[in-house]
Amino acid sequence: MTPFLEVKDMKKAYGAIKAVDGVSMSVGPGEIVGVIGPNGSGKTTLFNSILGQITPTAGHVEFCGEDVTGMSPLELSRRGVGRTFQTLQVFGKLSVRDNLIVAAQEFKGSLGSRLMAKPDAGLGQHADEMIELFRLKHVAHLYAGTLSYGQQKLIDIAMAFMPAPRLVLLDEPCAGVNPSLVDQLRELLVELNKVQGGSFVVIEHNMDFIMKLCPHVICMVEGKVLAEGPPATVQSNRQVLEAYLGN
Amino acid sequence: MNTNVKTIILVAALAAVAVVAALAKRSDVYLLTLCSVYLMATFGLNLTVGYAGQMSLGQAAFFGIGAYIAALALKAGVPFFVVVLIAAVVCFFVGLALGFPALRVQHHYLAFATLGFNVLVYLIMRNEEKITGGTFGISGIPRPSLLGFSMEGHLAYFYLTFASLIVLAFLLWWLLRSPWGRAFAALRDNPIRAESLGVNITAYTLLAFAIGAACAGIAGVYYASLVEFIEPGPFHFSTSLMMLLAVIVGGSGRFFGPVIGTVIIILLPELLRASNMEALKFMQKWYLVFFGIAVVVLMVWLPGGILSIGDRFRKGGAK
Repeated sequence: MTPFLEVKDMKKAYGAIKAVDGVSMSVGPGEIVGVIGPNGSGKTTLFNSILGQITPTAGHVEFCGEDVTGMSPLELSRRGVGRTFQTLQVFGKLSVRDNLIVAAQEFKGSLGSRLMAKPDAGLGQHADEMIELFRLKHVAHLYAGTLSYGQQKLIDIAMAFMPAPRLVLLDEPCAGVNPSLVDQLRELLVELNKVQGGSFVVIEHNMDFIMKLCPHVICMVEGKVLAEGPPATVQSNRQVLEAYLGN
Repeated sequence: MNTNVKTIILVAALAAVAVVAALAKRSDVYLLTLCSVYLMATFGLNLTVGYAGQMSLGQAAFFGIGAYIAALALKAGVPFFVVVLIAAVVCFFVGLALGFPALRVQHHYLAFATLGFNVLVYLIMRNEEKITGGTFGISGIPRPSLLGFSMEGHLAYFYLTFASLIVLAFLLWWLLRSPWGRAFAALRDNPIRAESLGVNITAYTLLAFAIGAACAGIAGVYYASLVEFIEPGPFHFSTSLMMLLAVIVGGSGRFFGPVIGTVIIILLPELLRASNMEALKFMQKWYLVFFGIAVVVLMVWLPGGILSIGDRFRKGGAK
């Protein structure tokens, strides 16, 4: 299978600290890959290096065969790469519906044509479908900033999927989410994977969530890949157990 | 409140202002015209600061650039609306240039960068006597004629300014209602997230400055024709502070915020100064002190501006 995303020997150092130290990974079309590892193992730095949020010290990123190393988040998003952040990143003074519309409107037409476009940029129906899918209908017209953490997290994730990206990198989607919502979130991601057909890379500390969601898991420790493979293999890896689970 | 009711209230309010102007004294018509002129500039500043979240203390510089373009061009016989267009275009491009610092710095650093620009423009107006007349200014700025009708009279000029303000406000409302308005809000709320969602934050930041500046440039043209004499004083950075205060007092990022704020900033001091009631006689001396205290109290109690008063009692509602 031709890799969709290919990361080759990625390195990111802050002075003497090697946050990411020679990580290589590949993600195929439609594949869901999980990235696990203890705090400070370099997962988010790896994400930020892939996504142009920070400049890697060394290494290459290829997306659909194109070298996208060091490209800005804007250029990557235009190529169909979406993301969520570790912390909540919604537009607090926009309604939930407007949050979803703004997440996809910039992919429709040119800057000039958007000035002349309908207020909802022709995305109202799609936004309503996503609102329905994420069970946010009862809060659709409220300011996103006034909602609970869990609801904002759902908006955050829904926004990443609004433009139907080809690749989505999700940074700790379960963090701070009520345990009763975690299963719902996993089902949503499975459904979106089926419907939109994109590839996902998911950083998560919730082991149950990641083992059920991802057919392929990468475990990072101290900036390096310690183990990778199917969830059961990684879970039973002795080094992973020692480094990550501590027993 | 549904849209039809809002439209009826708005039309009734505009009609009421037009009627009040027809019945008012000459000095009051002047104040209403001045309010309309400042509103053009504060509507633009509200887009830059309130909707796009880009701090600016340079609005008076664009106001001045527009005014000086008007003074020079109108005296040279260029038609009024051509001058309006020239001022808007020039200020748009100068505003575009001023937007570049905003790509590097934010908040109070950006405020100081724009303030520096205002000081620079002010000094040019004061020192480049051959062009600007320096502190002696430029006098004899004509008022326009429209379709053969002279706008020389104070009431006629008010109606011209008021009608132009309505057109400008409609264009801004339409722009903010378009996807651009949502992109500006995304830029204000969270530029990093906005960029990851394909929002070209460079383009929207520059546009926010440029459009706001163009509005101030247009306001400057109407101001020059209103006062018929300009000198650098009204374009000092204290005017930028006053415009920013108008936006914040009314409700930054709310469409009608500048209306409330500008009316308060322009009219309230005059009303206090002119109060003839026995109990308010002391205001004639103390009106600026009272005005200052009123603004401080307002900002402490309602930091989101007067139009945020509803939010104090109601949580959540976006629409």
